[in-house]
Amino acid sequence: MVDEKRTLPPMDRVWNFFTSVKLAIITLIVLASTSILGTIIEQNQPPEKYHQIYEDWAFALLDRVNLFDMYHSTWFLLLLVLFTVNLSCCTIERFPKMLKIVRNPRTKLDENLEKTLSFSDRWKKKGALSDWTAKYAGAVSSSFAKPKVTEEGGAVHLYAEAGVASRFGVYVTHLSIVIIFIGAIVGNVFGFKGYVNIPEGEAVSQVPVRGGSRMQDLGFSVRCNAFSLETYPSGQPKAYKSDLSVIEGGREVARKTIVVNDPLQHNGIWFYQSSYGQSGGATAKVTVTRKDGTPMGTLSLAANESVPIAGYGTLRGVDYNQNFGGNGPALQVVVEKPGQPSASFWLFQGRPDLDRQRADSLVFSFGGLSSKMFTGLQVAKDPGVNIVWLGCALMVIGLLMAFFLSHQRVWVRLSPGTDGRVEVVLAASASRNRLAFEKKFEKILTGVKAAGQ
Amino acid sequence: MSNVILFNLATVLFGVASGLYLGALYAKNEKIAVAGTWTCVLAAVVSTAALGLRWYESYQMGIGRIPVTNLYESLVFFAWAVNLFYLFVERKYGSRTFGAFVMPIAFLTMVFAVYNDSSIQPLVPALQSYWLHAHVITCFIGYAAFAVSAGVAVMYLLKARQEAAKVSMGVVGLLPGCKTLDDLVYRTIIWGFPFLTTGIITGAAWANYAWGTYWSWDPKETWSLIVWLVYAAFLHARITRGWHGKRAAILSIVGFLATVMCYLGVNLVLSGLHSYGGG
Repeated sequence: MVDEKRTLPPMDRVWNFFTSVKLAIITLIVLASTSILGTIIEQNQPPEKYHQIYEDWAFALLDRVNLFDMYHSTWFLLLLVLFTVNLSCCTIERFPKMLKIVRNPRTKLDENLEKTLSFSDRWKKKGALSDWTAKYAGAVSSSFAKPKVTEEGGAVHLYAEAGVASRFGVYVTHLSIVIIFIGAIVGNVFGFKGYVNIPEGEAVSQVPVRGGSRMQDLGFSVRCNAFSLETYPSGQPKAYKSDLSVIEGGREVARKTIVVNDPLQHNGIWFYQSSYGQSGGATAKVTVTRKDGTPMGTLSLAANESVPIAGYGTLRGVDYNQNFGGNGPALQVVVEKPGQPSASFWLFQGRPDLDRQRADSLVFSFGGLSSKMFTGLQVAKDPGVNIVWLGCALMVIGLLMAFFLSHQRVWVRLSPGTDGRVEVVLAASASRNRLAFEKKFEKILTGVKAAGQ
Repeated sequence: MSNVILFNLATVLFGVASGLYLGALYAKNEKIAVAGTWTCVLAAVVSTAALGLRWYESYQMGIGRIPVTNLYESLVFFAWAVNLFYLFVERKYGSRTFGAFVMPIAFLTMVFAVYNDSSIQPLVPALQSYWLHAHVITCFIGYAAFAVSAGVAVMYLLKARQEAAKVSMGVVGLLPGCKTLDDLVYRTIIWGFPFLTTGIITGAAWANYAWGTYWSWDPKETWSLIVWLVYAAFLHARITRGWHGKRAAILSIVGFLATVMCYLGVNLVLSGLHSYGGG
């Protein structure tokens, strides 16, 4: 055996290596065990973080073998390439043979074939061979599938099959893996992934691409009209909502409020709710009215910013307390009038009329803090994703074909016996799940025998 | 909450069933095993009712959602699936010996669940998706099938050792033959594998819809791939000379250990997007 292997030409040995199922098993196990490493070593963290965890020598070693970004490392990609080559070679080697068997089935039940079949039975019948052929062909048809009739040397062979698709299951599954890889490559080459923060009221037309310094032009702009956060009564977050507009040529062409799990799509580019935060400092809303009740408008005070009020002076917000003395949210302001000492006092959000007690010409009331938010969006374009889904669908179909269908074949041979009777042999095979086929075989056998009564 | 009381009752029933199956093996008494089967059926009814009740109670609380979204719920759902899948196998193969090797898995899972927070919490925004249902249900049917398979694989290894030594004694002597066990290890995996595959695919589809990336090599995803690879290796091993039988059975057990790591280990030990085990 060993010597025979050695005498093979080198090309054949390489081919045998790549078409072996053993290589597939080993590649699968190596892929599985190396993949574990990347789940133990946190991937793609900043170097400072790794230095905190690892000694210098360990850091250098792990960095050298790309274990900080192992799933994109050359060696891991090479493993995936080996996996794909193995898979493809196995298919190239075996598929044509399988196709040949399926296209040119052995329709004649000769002695050699009969010996290899685990299901068979034989009996003799009186009468004409052609009559029995017609009867049995009808019986096989009704109990299994329509048989093909071949005559050779006085004997007649019936052949019927079912579940041929089962033979293709493994190839559909293998092809699906290649299709998924193609989809992934298409997505990597022709798509992009980015992330962008958009403050409320502002728009972006470019996004920074992840893992690089490149900016990606969207070809349109996206404006965040508003961001809001909803919570459950318990305080846990319930929904993150961004009201987005798509603007093309200065015109709003689409608008959608997105939440997590409900993105916005425009021209093949998707926007996913991903993060949020406060954009700049908070501003305090202060409503101004004259002593007689005439409204003067609302001011927006940034922290420590003096806002002039014509014919009066300036107003400045200096402090904020969420619950001042148990009276709820309050804002401390400082009023400065020309030629007068500055006055400092608190305005309570819950008691808008309280400031009247100050007996000034203007009355201020605090309408609460408002902070400008920004929304954080994942932005992605992946023209390969539908190829990936096609591959996934094929994979499930292929697996079901391979596991749950069985290529079942039934032969009947009728030949003139030496005693003038007709010799009948019924045999069958199933490519998988023989246990279940046993019952089916009994049924076919009963059906065929009954046709003779 | 009444659903938890029902789950506790189911835990007891799983324990009783495990005890009956083990007892039946030692006492070599089929009647005890039959009692085990009926206990399993009762446990199936009780745990199904408990899941339904928990679902209903979540609506009563105004946060209606499928009860498979935190560690406690996933554990009881896993035990529920193992029990049902086991009953399916027992009926199909007409042997009750498997119960002694499978039902303890369901029982221990429930015992572990009891030590976890059983309150019904509202869904965080990331989990509010219809993909949740398809993803979790397919994954867990896969996990349940793998659990049953690993139980049978242990039986296979015990039996294979006796058959190799040409002896038949003790409890192991009563187990079905190696051929049957080997076949069953395989048959349960060909159920589990398409479900796991569908679970990974629905997870990828969901991730793509939520974050714009169908695969990001986060630890949970990677471990699900590891499980997939191990069972893929198993499926190829079975048709390869020198790899079927014992090595295939070992791969089935390794596959289930990887499943446990994927399901629990990642959340309890590693960090990632599936955070239900962290809190």
